[in-house]
Amino acid sequence: MDRPLVATSGNISGEPVLTDNQEATTRLAAIADGFLHHNRPIVRPADDPVIRSIAGQPRHIRLGRGIAPLELDLPTGPAQPVLAVGGHMKDAVALCWDKRLVISPHIGDLDSPRSMDVFEHTIGDLQALYEVQAQSIICDLHPAYTSSRWARQQNLPLLEVQHHHAHASALAGEHPDIHRWLVFTWDGVGMGNDGSLWGGEALTGVPGDWQRKASFRPFYLSGGNKAGREPWRSAAALMWGAGYDWLPPVNGVELARDGWRKRLNTHPSSAVGRLFDAAAALVLDRTVASFEGQGPMELESLTRQRATPVSLPLAMDANGILRSDWSVLPAMLSDQVRSAAERADIFHESMAQTLVDQALGIQKTTAFEAVGLSGGVFQNRRLTEIVLELLEQHDIPVRLHRQIPANDGGLCFGQIIEYLATQQTFVEHGSR
Amino acid sequence: MTFDRHISLAHGNGGRFMRELITEIFARHLDNPGLDVSLDAAPMDLSGVDNDSMIPMITTDGFVVQPLEFPGGDIGSLAVHGTVNDLAVCGAKPLYFSLNAIIEEGLESDCLERVVKSLAAAAREAGVRVVAGDTKVVPRGNGGGLYLATTGVGLRPAGLMLGMHTIQPGDQVLVSGPIGDHGIAVMLAREEFQIKGDVQSDSASVLPLAEAAMAFEGLRFMRDPTRGGLASVGCEICSATGLGLRLMETAVPVRESVGMVCEMLGYDPYYLACEGRVVAVVAAAEAQALLEAWRATAGGNQAAIIGSMVSDKARLVLETELAGERVLEELEDDPLPRIC
Repeated sequence: MDRPLVATSGNISGEPVLTDNQEATTRLAAIADGFLHHNRPIVRPADDPVIRSIAGQPRHIRLGRGIAPLELDLPTGPAQPVLAVGGHMKDAVALCWDKRLVISPHIGDLDSPRSMDVFEHTIGDLQALYEVQAQSIICDLHPAYTSSRWARQQNLPLLEVQHHHAHASALAGEHPDIHRWLVFTWDGVGMGNDGSLWGGEALTGVPGDWQRKASFRPFYLSGGNKAGREPWRSAAALMWGAGYDWLPPVNGVELARDGWRKRLNTHPSSAVGRLFDAAAALVLDRTVASFEGQGPMELESLTRQRATPVSLPLAMDANGILRSDWSVLPAMLSDQVRSAAERADIFHESMAQTLVDQALGIQKTTAFEAVGLSGGVFQNRRLTEIVLELLEQHDIPVRLHRQIPANDGGLCFGQIIEYLATQQTFVEHGSR
Repeated sequence: MTFDRHISLAHGNGGRFMRELITEIFARHLDNPGLDVSLDAAPMDLSGVDNDSMIPMITTDGFVVQPLEFPGGDIGSLAVHGTVNDLAVCGAKPLYFSLNAIIEEGLESDCLERVVKSLAAAAREAGVRVVAGDTKVVPRGNGGGLYLATTGVGLRPAGLMLGMHTIQPGDQVLVSGPIGDHGIAVMLAREEFQIKGDVQSDSASVLPLAEAAMAFEGLRFMRDPTRGGLASVGCEICSATGLGLRLMETAVPVRESVGMVCEMLGYDPYYLACEGRVVAVVAAAEAQALLEAWRATAGGNQAAIIGSMVSDKARLVLETELAGERVLEELEDDPLPRIC
């Protein structure tokens, strides 16, 4: 061959793998030059699992072949079988009955009809396999998630669980020995109880009773759903928000800036995943990404050593929530005197220090036994390991996910844990 | 004149000021043989109509667009086009209109006159007569300058079998022109964007397009994709027929300027309002002929075959470039507020 040859799994980006040879040949015609088929039919498709070593342990990024369906035993179970449908991206579903819980293999992003078919098939298949019929459904609070829409159409009792509550409960469910938590739920985005885009939330409490104690000063993200794939929008939110007249090399960007100034299709966000996107855009000129998290992954790969952090001011807002102010970051991130690697080091150090500052601030008023880290941002090994080192210096124990993905693939598990906790609360109250 | 510059509450009090408002602005521009402002109710002359072959059709619509005037149209022309188009896509020829105007105290009378003139011109062009009307003036702060409501009466051939129930797998779906122009034009005007190569609303009567389509025996259904845009029409078709609709992204006409605004501001053109387009579902055998007929008709030169009905789950699927597929779901939130 006089050029590179790429061999990869048979799926379109974000969609589940194609399992039928005929369908693969048709659907992938525009992408693939050749096909390697197998003559064994695939009954239950499963993507490859993805695992990353963080803090000396393998951590699941995606539950796939050989791991999922993942069966877990619970200390308590629901009165009747319950189905949790997870979120929208990297989705997986969970079925819980008696004291058993099963998490499905990774399904994918629920934008395509094929993902939707696999989603429905997986739900039917799980129930048939275990001969259990769900009597109620749990979904995310976000009404426009495909999984939430599906859940609403099922004519079964429905419980909506806030995205970051589910992340926190997913972690708590893996560590039942902890009874008073401080969980940092940092991710790309999830709809908050106030309708804004959360993703940098520090929650104290236990499943079924989470209190939001710290977050970030909101920044304004333009372009609706486009922000996840266009990191320049996150960078613009910070640069414009901090008063810089910054224009990335994007065709028509003046229009976006005018729209941002008018707050048109622009939403307040506290998502740390978007702060990482912004950093990647400013440090690496990563204006667009072909998958969510691409910029932050590239930024992490640049890091080499510990650095002196930029200190994000921490102050309490009118609702009693501590908020870290990102507005000191743009100057450092766009400082061309510093090398990209140096800025990547400082950024990771700064975000880790911010987490520690928040934890220490919360500790003044609220006792907790351990700090937990959940949400897709903590798939960042560099960030997570610095946080562990810093918290250790303050003698604060830290818990990470064991088997459940920190990303949205773990939401279904967290939704079940949240449901079981509220169900118990309800029973306890009723018996008094 | 009693309204040198602005409309006052007295213009709605039933007295001299109101009479002058009606005669000087409304009646003067809307003048037609069927309009007699001294009557409480107007007769509709349907003489010559064979009741067995034609069915009277009625529709009504309210208009609250902001701003009142925008590139490519205004609330006056829109109030005609909206109602004309609702009749036209049902196969009816619009004949008579009633007009309600709810005016906010303080509206510039010049603005009102421009809008009424524009409304009258649009009515003349569509061949409809405004034969009944009412005006009210509401106190300052109680309305967006001007709200209009029109009711239209038209006649439809009795034998015409149009409706979503006639749609079958294999039928082709056409759109008469680029989508999203109105939604973007109104948004840019409302938000006072200063951009070059401005986008014009497509506000227009689709009567000629609808009439051209009605010549085809295989025509199943027509709809003007207003609020909620092409995607909402598609979702409705899927839900009513139980069939799938596959749209080809590369075939759906979207103006470059509209595409750029959508790209930068994060809007989805499939959900943006049109006010001068028709979506038609037609038997596959006649799709090409309808396309050619539309392209030869005023307002249809950029018509396109954009998709087809399939025996699949009842869902609207957009085939993107590189074989990607995206489900276009029913709208949850309004993409843009108050565009009609």
